[in-house]
This record gives sequence, C-alpha cells and structure tokens, in this order.
Amino acid sequence: MTGVTRPTYRTVIVGGGIVGLFTAYHLARAGAGPILVVDRGFLSSGASGRNGGGVRQQWETRATIRLAREAVGAYRRFGREFGTNVWFRQGGYLFLAESPEELERLRKVHAMVLAEGLESRMLETAAVGRIAPALALDRVLGGSFLASDGTLYPFPAIWGVYERARALGVEVALGVEALSIRTAAGRASGLVTSAGTVECDTIVNAAGGWSFELSKRAGLESPNRPTRHEILATEAVKPFLDPMVIRLSDGLYVSQSMRGELIGGLTLAHRPGTEEGMRSSPEFLPKMAKALVDLMPRTSSLGVLRAWSGFYDDTPDGMPVIGEDPRLPGFVHANGFGGHGFMLAPATTRRVAQAVLGEPSDLDPGVFGPGRFLDPHRATTPESLQPG
Amino acid sequence: MGAGAPSPVWYRGGPLPVRSGETLARALLRSGQTILGRSIRYHRPRAPFCGVGHCTGCLVRVNGNPNVRACRYVPSPGDRVESENAWPSPSFDLLAGFDLAFPSGIDTLRGFTRPAFAAPLYQRVIRRLAGYGHLADAGAPSHGTGLRLDADTVVVGAGNSGRAFATAWARSHPGLLAVERELGVPPIPDAEILEGTTAVFLPPPAGPADRPFLLVAARSNDAVEIRARQVVVASGGYDGPLLFEGNDRPGVITAEGALALAPESDRAPFRAGILVGGGSRAAELLERWGGSVEALVAPGTVGPEATRPASELGIPIYPRTLILGVDGRRRVRGVRLAPRGFGTPFTVEGDAVVLAHRRLPNPQLFFQAGARMEWRGEGGAYYPLLDADLTTSVPGLFAIGEAAGFVGAAAGLSGDRLASVLSREGPAPTTPLERVGTPGPNELEGYYRELLGRTRTRGKTIACPCEDVLLSEIEDATRHGYRGIEVVKRYTGVGTGLCQGRYCLPDALLLLSVLEGRAPEAVGYITQRPPVLPVRLGVLSTLAEPPRPEAR
Repeated sequence: MTGVTRPTYRTVIVGGGIVGLFTAYHLARAGAGPILVVDRGFLSSGASGRNGGGVRQQWETRATIRLAREAVGAYRRFGREFGTNVWFRQGGYLFLAESPEELERLRKVHAMVLAEGLESRMLETAAVGRIAPALALDRVLGGSFLASDGTLYPFPAIWGVYERARALGVEVALGVEALSIRTAAGRASGLVTSAGTVECDTIVNAAGGWSFELSKRAGLESPNRPTRHEILATEAVKPFLDPMVIRLSDGLYVSQSMRGELIGGLTLAHRPGTEEGMRSSPEFLPKMAKALVDLMPRTSSLGVLRAWSGFYDDTPDGMPVIGEDPRLPGFVHANGFGGHGFMLAPATTRRVAQAVLGEPSDLDPGVFGPGRFLDPHRATTPESLQPG
Repeated sequence: MGAGAPSPVWYRGGPLPVRSGETLARALLRSGQTILGRSIRYHRPRAPFCGVGHCTGCLVRVNGNPNVRACRYVPSPGDRVESENAWPSPSFDLLAGFDLAFPSGIDTLRGFTRPAFAAPLYQRVIRRLAGYGHLADAGAPSHGTGLRLDADTVVVGAGNSGRAFATAWARSHPGLLAVERELGVPPIPDAEILEGTTAVFLPPPAGPADRPFLLVAARSNDAVEIRARQVVVASGGYDGPLLFEGNDRPGVITAEGALALAPESDRAPFRAGILVGGGSRAAELLERWGGSVEALVAPGTVGPEATRPASELGIPIYPRTLILGVDGRRRVRGVRLAPRGFGTPFTVEGDAVVLAHRRLPNPQLFFQAGARMEWRGEGGAYYPLLDADLTTSVPGLFAIGEAAGFVGAAAGLSGDRLASVLSREGPAPTTPLERVGTPGPNELEGYYRELLGRTRTRGKTIACPCEDVLLSEIEDATRHGYRGIEVVKRYTGVGTGLCQGRYCLPDALLLLSVLEGRAPEAVGYITQRPPVLPVRLGVLSTLAEPPRPEAR
C-alpha cells in the first residue's frame, strides 16, 4: 500500500473509511488531484468495516430521503462501476411499532417517504407476519415497509472504491495519523502527520468517530461526539429472513446477510468517547440475545459467532455535517453520520466533493452545514429515526 | 409414546444403533456414515475432522436445532437427526456439481456483477447456497435465569495443569472454582467444579478491587457469570491443521478427531492411516494404533520418540516431506508426497491422513483480557508474556499448561508451580519450566514457502474449511495489495467461520508471512472477539436480567 510521496497535495482527506475513499474517488474523477487519504488504522478498521450493511430510504427528513434514494441507485450500480460485488439485496426495511405512538411516528415517516415517490407501505400486524414469518407478533401493532431498501456486504464496497480511487491516482497512506493542522492567512494550508508534513489547499475531515478530535486539532470546537455501539453475528443458516427488521421500542435491528448470518444490534445506554476503545461489553451479548429470541423465538438455538463494537459519530440534531467550516476556510467536514455513513456515502460524498471544489450543492447549509451549530437561536431540522 | 422398547435414535428417517454414552459422530461412523454433510460454498463432502466440537465437519440438525456438532453430542432415545446442506443426501448431493464445475472456485468478490438484469437471479442462487442448516422449527421454551457466582480464584480448564493447580491450591485456600468444558471429570478435593461449562468471555478486569474479573461461561441450557479476585487460565491446546490439496477430504483428520471417533481406544477409526508428525504426539498414536499406520510423514524432522516405534513396527518414515495433496473425492485413497527441496512426487496409499504434527494453544481469553502476547516461533502461535511467577501482564491473571506454551511434563508442573508461587511458600523456584521456544522461524514457514513455490495441480486447497475459502483467495488478496491478517480476514472471510479461526488462522499467518515477505508477527493478529466458542442465543439470554439483590 502506498505512503506519502509528495510534499504538496491539492486535497488531503483524513479518514480512509468509505466516506474518505468515496470523496477521494469523486475528486479524482473530477480531475482535482493530487489527492492524499491518510488513516491511522488499516483499511476497514473503523466503522466502515464494523457496520451492519443496511441501506434505507425511510427517514423523517426529506433531504435525507433524497440522499438515500440516490445512494440506493449507486449501490445497485456498484458492481458494474467498481468491479467488486457488494451483493446489495433489496429485501426491504421493516419497521415495527409496539405502541400507538410508535405507529403514529411510522405513519408520518410513511407519508414523507410516499410524497418523495417511493412505494412505502403501512402494514397491519398480519401483513408484518407475511413479510417476516419468523417474527413473534404478539406485541406488534403494525409496521412500515419499503421494499427497495436493503442490505449489502460492506467490505467489497471498501475494496472497490479503494482500488478505483488508487487507479485514478489517489494516494492512500495507512497507519498514518493526522496530528495537527497548519494554517496560513486564516486558511487550512497543511497537515502534520506521523509521516511528515504535507501542504494542501483543502483538508477533509472524514475521521468518523474521531472527527471531533481532528476538529479540535484544527482549533475548532465541534458538537460531534462518538458513541460506542455493539453488534453481533450468528452462525449461518439457510435464508429465512428477507427484510432488515427494526423495532422502534428498543432500537433492535437485525438482518440476514447473504452468507446466512444474522447481523444485528440494539440501542443500549451507549458509552460515550473513544477512550475505552472498540471492545465488547459483557452487558451487550445477553441483552441482544434476549431481544432476538423475543423477536424471533426460533432463533433460540442459533449460535452467536462473535460480537464487536464500533463508533457512531453523533451530532446534536441527528443530521450529518457536510461543508466547509466558516471558521476555517479550506477545512471541509464530511462527518457526523451517526451510524449511517456507509449507507449514504455514495450520495453524501458527491456533495463533499462539491464543497471541496467550491461548486454549488443542493444541500441546505442550514441543515447540513457546520455553521448551523454556531447560531444558538437557530431552529433545527432534527432527524430522530436513528436505529438501523 | 407408550411403554415397551425404548425408542431409537433416528438418523435421516431410519433407526441408528447407539451405544450408551457414545457420541453421535461415533455411532454414525459405526453404522457406515462416512459423509455427514456438505461444505458451505462448494458442497464438498464433510466428515468429522477436529473431534473437539470446533470445526464444521460433523454438523447435523438434531430435533430441529441446526449446527449441532455430532462429535460432542450424546444422543437420547427418540432424537431425530437430520443432515445439513445436502440434497438428496450427504453421500449424493446434487449441488456438489458446483465443486466440479468451478475447479478454481466461484469468485463472489469480483464476479456476478454483470449483466444488470441478472443480479436478482445471482442473488437468489448464491443466497440459497449460503448457510449450513435450517433455522429451528420452533423456539426452545424459556431458558430461565443464568447462574451468577462469586469466587476467590477461578481456574479455566480442569485438564492436566488446571487440575494440578486446583488440587494444590484448594488444600489451603477456600473459594476455588474450576470451569471445565467436559462432563464427568473426577472431583478435586475442597474445590467446586462447574463441568460442562465453557469459558467464552473474559473482558479486561474492571470490577471492584476484591473481585475485578468477570468471566462469562456457557452451559448447555444457561450461561454463567463469575466474579473473581484472580483467574488462572489453563485452556489447553489442540491438534493443528495442515494445508494441502484436498485437505478437507473425509479421512483427513486431526489426532484428536481420530481419538474421538475410535470405536475402542485400541482400535483406530481407519485401516491404513498416513500419520503426519515427528514428535511425541505422533509417537503416542503409533503406540496406540501402530498396526493401522501405513506411513509416518513429517513436514520437518522425525524425533527418536517417533522413530523408535515406527521402526519396530516396520512403518516407512518420510521425514522432511511435503504433503502435496490427497487422492480420492469421497474418502482419502492415498496421499501425494514429495521430499523437501523440490524432490520428485510419489504416492502412498491409505484411507486416512492423521494430523499429529503440531499442538496449538487456546489463547483467546488472554487476548480478550488484554494480556500482552508474544509470538513464539517454535509453536507458530501467540502465547502470553509471563514473568517468573507465571503472571501475565494483567495483574491477577495467570497462565499455565499448554495454553501458556508449557510442553510435556512442564505443563502439569506449571500448575503446581503457580500454586506454590501464589501461596508464597518459601523462596520463588528458580528451575525454569520447559516452554515452547521463541528463536527462529516456525518449521512450517519454509514448508509453506516451498509449497507455494511449486505448481499446484487439479483440486482445491481449502484455507478455511468452515467458509470454504481457498488458498488461492489468500494469494489473490496479496496480489491486489492487501496486507496483514486483519485486512485479509475481511477480504477473504478467513477466520470468520464457526471454528473462530482455530483451523485457518495459524496457517494463514504463516502463508501471509511468506506471501508478504515479512515475519509472521508482522502480519498481525485478529481481535479475539467474544464468545470463544459459538453460544446459542437462548443460552446467552439467560444473563439478560440484572442480578437479584443479594440478602445480607
């Protein structure tokens, strides 16, 4: 794998996850090189290699629905464009409501998704059972379902974008940490790394769970905070579950991968911070196991293969941060994806590339821009449909 | 069911004679079932391999529950046993055609991307190929509440070294708890043994000073959570794998696997076995089953302990020999060998290849607990860094026996040694105990360098039998510039199967060392995630409720 070979780049991207690599790819396609991506871990060591592979278009905010729809299109084409097969399987996303309030919440999402031209459906309990026969329905009041949502296998997406980006001349330096940001005339002008200092016009903060730390190293206060989430995989069995299932009451999400494993997690009182590292807690496995067995009793004899954890990069309003920082020109944010970075990456990173190139974007800066956190009186457009 | 004759065990709809207390795998072999299922991607024949409940060689569905290891399962009257991933039967499986049709494998990473309209069709086919068995037909009734215990000292493993420690320590120290995976182990005076219990998770100590450790263990119907002041890990070792063409064929088996299948301890589960290894493990099998051994083959040198019995029995010895591959699709018929140094290949006929060439440690709990580990070349594995007091880098966590790299008699002695060190009985002992050596490369590094340097022929070499990952896929990862085991794991799937990497990672490290041209320890290691062995969801769920407040 390559190292840092030049003293000067046009753009340096911190973070070699799917967001950083995809941004590099879009920039390289636009001929905006030379481009350097640095990551202090190995390829796929962060959240891009730790997520459940879900891709959904059911959201509370219109802008996110539009990004997600674009991402679904991109993942459908992915194999033909990038040469690796992500096995994007559109088995749908099935949200479960267990209270009238949850049902009402799903109805609102449904109306919004429908208005965007996607064929979302509200389901009675019996219809939920027809889509996922393994579910115990005694507590289910109903659900919402969008058949074109789906799941993919994240790793081939990383390999594919990595290989194409490199073929377009992008340099990817792994095991290299971003230490501090150099400024000149009020602009970001260079990055000090563990492998030396490079000059550049633009720095992209695509550091995922460590994005607030990088912002801090640039002297910028960031409201982003990492939270540790855990996930497990079971032994592989023959296909029995088509959709990704999400239960609103506890944030349980579970799908069956193309390999046959169940992959899922749930919302615990997530520990903040990156200090304790990405490790499993003794609380997660029993709670997740209980939730899965309650949801699908037939899984009780299924073996758990492994559990692992990763970081969400959460923002106060649940929306990502995309755009140049008004406090430091040349420092562009591509972070705060709150556990949804992978699914939205093909679409969001096009806007990140536009921000780097100074091109106009269809994203409302009041909703996505980093400046939105600087005005304490600003009304937010929060996205609270977070699980899965 | 009415009174009268006890109901039999049913295998694929027919009665299966089972002797009292015998495992399902042994009963199946005795009734002539040599192929028990089919592998996950290529539907290659699967038969018992490891004999210790780790690999996917003997997966069956019992009473509707998937992925039960026949080698560990003792059936009860009335059990219904079905085969997995095979149609119409394990011995004749229609999808086995995939294996023949794609001799160099199916490329699910870069293939099946065109044309666009075919994607849903590809998905349906590939998805149906995936998975071992079918999900259970019904959920198990409630598993109740798991067990929560406090102990002063916990010993993981009541084998040779764990038992030695427990016996010596419990004499003068109350509150010793031994956790042992096997059932029916002899008692240890003044100690409690939780048998049929497997330690699966030991996070870094974070509890109160008097009980900093939390050990999670699993039993057949519930889970156990033990809080302890100190933990002694004596998790032992296992007989390691070897890579060659057809290394997954029925009849290729570890020494432990052969011992688990043997109808009687003095009768081998083969007629003409090719025994692999040149050390004490091979010697042990020669003493036991010499009459059924056709040849002794060793990747490296053959020691006097194996040479002597082999010569006495007139068994040909092939030291420093490559195993190129086995002949026979449904059962080993022979093995193709070549002297090291690119010698001319020759064939030895036989019906089994018995792997007794290396012992590997079970280091998972050390890794999980955050102990510092070191690569030891002679063992070709990671072992905990130990001081003279057998203490790991984590205070209160101790390592003894094979898991810590102690060999031969030193394994048991390390248990006694730890008990006396912790009891502070007199001055610390100074005689070193024999441990697996550190200097120099592992014997198999040069072996695999030569194997990779030879042109391979015909069939598949399976780098990961659980997931049917081919050796060529690991080479492909290197060719595309992916370096290090962490990335290669994610690129190929090696290390992600049901055995938790026991039968693929050790070789993958050595292969990557050769392919990447750097030392095995530079290739890295994968995170040892919980659980150490697959644990059923229903079992884990028993620890979901918080502990009841204890009466004081």
